[in-house]
Formats: sequence, C-alpha cells, structure tokens
Amino acid sequence: MNRRELLQCAALLVSGTAVTPGSWALSQAQSKYLSARAPYIETATADFFTDAQRAAVAAAADITIPITGTPGALDAGVPRFIELMVSDWLTDEERANFMGGLEDLQARAGGDFSALPAPKQLALLEALEDEAADAPWYQFANTLRTWDPEAPFICAFKELTVLGFMLSREGSREFLRPNPMGTFDGDIPLLATDSAYSKHTLLRAIARESS
Amino acid sequence: MEATDFDAIVVGSGISGGWAAKELTERGLKVLVLDRGRNIRHAVDYYGEHAQSYQEPYYGLPNRERDSREYFIQQNSYAFGETTLQYWNNDRLNPYVRTPDKPFNWMRADVVGGRSLLWGRQVYRWSEQDFTANRDDGSAVDWPVRYADIAPWYSHVEKFIGVSGQAEGLPQLPDSEFLPPMDYYALEKTAIARMKKKVPEIPITMGRVAILTQDHNGRAACHYCGPCQRGCSTGSYFSSQSSTLPAAEATGNMTLLPNRVVERLEHDECGRRVTGVLTVDTETGERQRFSARLVFLCASTLASTQILLNSASEQHPQGLANGSGVVGKYLMDHLALSHTGFFVDDADRYYLGDRPNGLYIPRFRNVGEQDQDANFLRGYGYQCLPLRPDWETTFNQRGFGADYKAQLAKPMPIWIWALRAFVECLPRASNRLYLHANKTDRFGIPQLVTEFTWSDNERNAALDSGVQAGRILRAAGAVSIDVTDSTENLDVGGDAIHEMGTVRMGRDPATSALNGFNQAHEVDNLFVTDGSFMTSASCVNPSLTYMAFTARACDYAVKQLQTANSA
Repeated sequence: MNRRELLQCAALLVSGTAVTPGSWALSQAQSKYLSARAPYIETATADFFTDAQRAAVAAAADITIPITGTPGALDAGVPRFIELMVSDWLTDEERANFMGGLEDLQARAGGDFSALPAPKQLALLEALEDEAADAPWYQFANTLRTWDPEAPFICAFKELTVLGFMLSREGSREFLRPNPMGTFDGDIPLLATDSAYSKHTLLRAIARESS
Repeated sequence: MEATDFDAIVVGSGISGGWAAKELTERGLKVLVLDRGRNIRHAVDYYGEHAQSYQEPYYGLPNRERDSREYFIQQNSYAFGETTLQYWNNDRLNPYVRTPDKPFNWMRADVVGGRSLLWGRQVYRWSEQDFTANRDDGSAVDWPVRYADIAPWYSHVEKFIGVSGQAEGLPQLPDSEFLPPMDYYALEKTAIARMKKKVPEIPITMGRVAILTQDHNGRAACHYCGPCQRGCSTGSYFSSQSSTLPAAEATGNMTLLPNRVVERLEHDECGRRVTGVLTVDTETGERQRFSARLVFLCASTLASTQILLNSASEQHPQGLANGSGVVGKYLMDHLALSHTGFFVDDADRYYLGDRPNGLYIPRFRNVGEQDQDANFLRGYGYQCLPLRPDWETTFNQRGFGADYKAQLAKPMPIWIWALRAFVECLPRASNRLYLHANKTDRFGIPQLVTEFTWSDNERNAALDSGVQAGRILRAAGAVSIDVTDSTENLDVGGDAIHEMGTVRMGRDPATSALNGFNQAHEVDNLFVTDGSFMTSASCVNPSLTYMAFTARACDYAVKQLQTANSA
C-alpha cells in the first residue's frame, strides 16, 4: 500500500478516542475488557537494554519530547515503550539495525550519551538527522505504513518516541485530548489552543500489504 | 411425514442466518441454528469496546509476526486488529486454495453472529433497474424477482433493524423506512452546497446505516464512540447478536449450537428432500447428524457453496441442487477504490463525537439509459469520508524539543475528503469456486478453490469513477485532487467483503439453482439465502437485500409447510 492509498483509506477510520462516561461503567463481568486493563507498558515486561542503553534512550527521548507545560516523554513512560517494542515487536533485522544505531550513538558520545550535557546531546541527535536527511522516511505522510524497515536509526528512534508518547495514557489524555462520546456534532469551532483528538485506531494499522 | 429433530435447521448465524432464525421461530417453528464459530454473549464479550490505545498490546500497532502467521488473509481488513481479533477466522486453521494469478480474499468471521458483528452497516435498497439489468443488457440470467416483490420485505426488515438516513425520492436508490439522518461535518456542508450549484445532476445524501439515531426496539441510540466493529454493548448497530438472535431466543423455539461446522447435506432416495445435516464439532471432532423439515443455508456465499458441492451424490453428481452446473460459478464482489481531495475550507471547524458513517453519492452513470460516453455497463456509487489529518501524518519531520512537540498537538489546517467508489461487478462463469481434488481441512472436508479476476467492464467503470470523482471534487472546491487513474494496483476479489452469486436464483432450472423464493429448484425443502443467491451484484452494499430475501423466503417456506400440513 502506498502513501496515497493509505491517505485515502485513512478516511475509513476517521475518529478520535473516547472516555467511558460513568453511566457506562464496566460491570464485574466486563472486567476482562481491554478498557479495564492497566496500560500496556505497565503490564508487559522487558529486560533487554543494558543500564547504559536504557539511560541513553531515556535521555534522547527527553530531548525529543521534553516536559513543557504538558507531560513529556519521560512522564509517559516512553523509554519503557521503546524497550518493549525493540525487544518484542521489531523483527530481528530491524532490532539489529536499531541496536547498531544505539551503540553508534553511544560511541559518538564517548561511551555514555546520558552523561553529556543537554546541548551536546541535542547536537549529536541533530547530526544524525543531518546524515539521514535524504532518507525516504522524511517524505510527507511517509509514516502512514506499518513500519519502515529501512529507516535510519534516528528515524526509527523518533518514530518509536512519538508513538510511545502520543498513544500513551498521558500523551493521549493530557497532551492530545479524548473525543468525548455521547453525541455527534460535525461543526464546532476549533480554537487556536485546541489540540487534536487522540485516536482509537492508527492509520498505519491498516497499512498491510493487500493481495 | 417422518419424524425430524427440528422443524427447521439454519446453517449460519450471521446477517442472513439471524434473520432466518427470527422469522422461522416467530412463525412457531422449532429451529436449530448451527454455527461453526464459538459462542459469544452480546455486550459482555465485546472485549475491545472502548479500549484506549495505551491499553492495547504495542499500543495498537499490528502484531506483525502473529498476524502474518495466523491471519494472513483477514489482516487485510481495515476492521482487523487487537480489539476485534476474537471475531475473525484463523487462516492457518481454516485453509482454502487461493489461486495466485486469480486471487480471492475470503474474509470470514468465526463466532456466533458472524460478520454481522463486523459489517460496514451501510444499507441501500436495490432499484427496479438493478433487478432488470441482466435482462436488459443480456448478462447472465434474468432475476425472477422485481422491486415490487421485495419492497414490502425491505420495509419489514428496515422497521426491525433501524435505518438512519434521508429520504431523497431517487429512482436509482429507493428510500428506506428511515430514522433521522446523522449530522454533517462542516466540510460536508460546504462541499454539498458547491455541488448543488456546479454539478446539480449528481445526487448526494447522508449515508444510510443500520445504526440508531434514536432508541428503537429496545436498543439505544448511537453514542458515537466510533469503531462499531469492536462490538456495541448498547446494541446501537444492527447485528444478529444485538437483534435477531435475541428475538429468536425470546420465542423459546430456538436451539443454538456453536462450534458445529456443516460437512454436507444428505437427501432422500429420490433426491428431492434434504433428510440430514451432517456436522462436525470443531472442538472434539465428533460427528453428529440432525434432521428437519426445512433447511436454510445461510453460511455465507463461499461456505454454502462448499456445503452444496460437498453434498454430491448419485442423484446430484455435480453437487446438491446443481443439475444446472451453476453452483460455484458467477462469483462476484464489488471493486472498491478511492479518490481524494484536499480542502482548505473549514480548517477552523472541528467535531464532537465520532460518526461511524459517511455521505453517499448514489449511482449516476447509466441510470435509466446507457450514457453515450460510458464504455462500461452498470455503474458505481461513492461512500464519501472526511478525515482531519494530524500528527500521525506529519511527525516525520526534522527537529527535537519544545517546537517539534508543539506542532504535534495541532490538527493540520486541511481536510481530506475521500470518495470511495464501489463498482458493480458483472457475473461471469470464469469467476468460480470448486472443491480441491485432494486437499482437505482439519475436519476432512475438501478445501474450496477460488479463482477470481476483474474484467474490462469493472476496470473501465473504475477508471470512470476516477474521472467523475475529479469532476465532483473540483466542484466541491478541493485545492488538490488525487484520483486513481490506473488499474495496476486494484483490490482483489473479496476485499470489499461483498462476495456473492455462486448459487444464483433464476426462472429456469437449467440455468439457475434457486427459484425466486430462494428455494432450490431440485430440492424442495432446501433454501439458500446468504449472498450466494444473488443473480447480479448492483453497486450498493448487499446486506439489506440478503435480509429482505431471507425474510421473504422464510414466509414462503412456512406457508408451503402449512399447505402440506393441511393437504
């Protein structure tokens, strides 16, 4: 599926996510519902990174999506999400690429990225983006597919960071906002201060190879 | 009359089977409903309903390793994912033969309620022209039914399921019995106003959906959470689980057996009556035979065809009720493809709630007469869906820190309006199903072989849908338009999940398997009312028509039983 097709079929999934109002509170029998579960990053376990790698990932995630007036990557458990995804979700080849990139970053930092002052951390990340600038990853809407196995490390890292933040409890509720359910009104003002709705279905989730 | 276990057996509990169960039990028959899927309970088993992204494994990203191993066909559906996983067929456990150069994707549910849990809920009546099309352009065989025959049954079904929509009085899209239509997006109001000025000949209306806009028959109005396919505990969209099976259950006349796949049907010595339904318990492998005075096949097009072909006998050497040889042939689907416009209008407008519906542009090509400039028969309609792009489309940018983060928060200042064309597919004998000579499934049932290709008629109509979509999007004010102008990467058969036609009805037993009441020409107590009875495809979503024909067939079958009883 190419970008255009994906954008087109994206419209099949128009929506934001929702909060369950009290009147639809879950019964005991419904407690196996996904909607009654603790967040994925709190229930899944991974012990894949070394302490140094874990610290480097956390530092880079914090540089990418810092805490501002709203929660940042560290508030949202992004480093843990990245470790889970690298450990459990990436393919062997994608994982090897990611870990190679992470070790390269460590090496450029003199062995410990997390120990550098923030401006030097930022400079190293920006240098990686400079080197990756020609990657297809940066083309408009080119992240609307399941995953790009060719993405340079810095791009794969940024993608996991953004997903881990925007889809997290904190990111979807305190940075984005839930689309309240109950009624539909298709014509209300969007104020300059309004953020987008969080979403219940990712467009990339339908970006499978068809046929 | 020999004693039977039940008055009627209904094979399948999806859109058609649920209706057969309801109509037959409400007429006093003792009915056994069989489904190969496992049982689930309405509402309490919809485990994905209202789940948040952060509660899903991998935050909702597809489980690529599992899906490519277990769900390599089903994963192609937009409705497939962690929150709907329990409804879908496991492709590894339930194989069929997919011919590589004639691919057909068999999308299947595997639970009680079937695909009525997963369906798109769009409901449109057929028009008189749809029923006369085969006769008029010489395709396949003529329908033995006309609009006037089925119209009262459309009403009967619509009053029960609840259909929201707007009456328009269009000859090519007869109005249903409507609940109030859903509300519009600002962009849709803008687009419609411009279209009325610039392309007034092209009709457009709110999508007609089996979703309640007010409380109806004990089910609650839609709460606009969005992804219906996860299951709806308030029963706001029609499914067998929310509606027909509870109605059948309430009569006290229904026995429901899940986990039973039907292997084949047995008949009497002369081959005119089905005497036994042979089942396999999908959990234990135990085989069991049931009998009834009536048998309704509602297993879905491919599965019902498989059962008939696997019921071949001395009297029915080509498969049960297949003296004509048409069973398995004339497989159809709809060809769906999308055309997109980008709009800078109404960028300051947003929405509240998630409307599980779009607008609908009914067929406007070859309506009444063949258009002079059309190099294809029949036509297509568009389902039109608005999308507000956001961070998911734009995060692949350079930068780090507060500024990068801030731009992720805002919706993009554009709207996308996607026109998804559904093109009518002509019936052709070369699109077919048959049993493999030696490949069987885990129950020993011969595997179904699928062969499907599009023809120039569908390809030409598809290309025309792009040309016309460009005209519509320009009229609506799109600043950038991206229409599909090539047939290189079309969806394959089955992708629209509107498969139909392989046990077609007709007037002549030599060229059709069923009569106009869905009754097998050759087997008096056998009715087939899922999509396989369809003699042509129209371009509209077919489920409503399956429901109406099922209800009509049930009425006819019970009246025949009563006549036999009083004779």
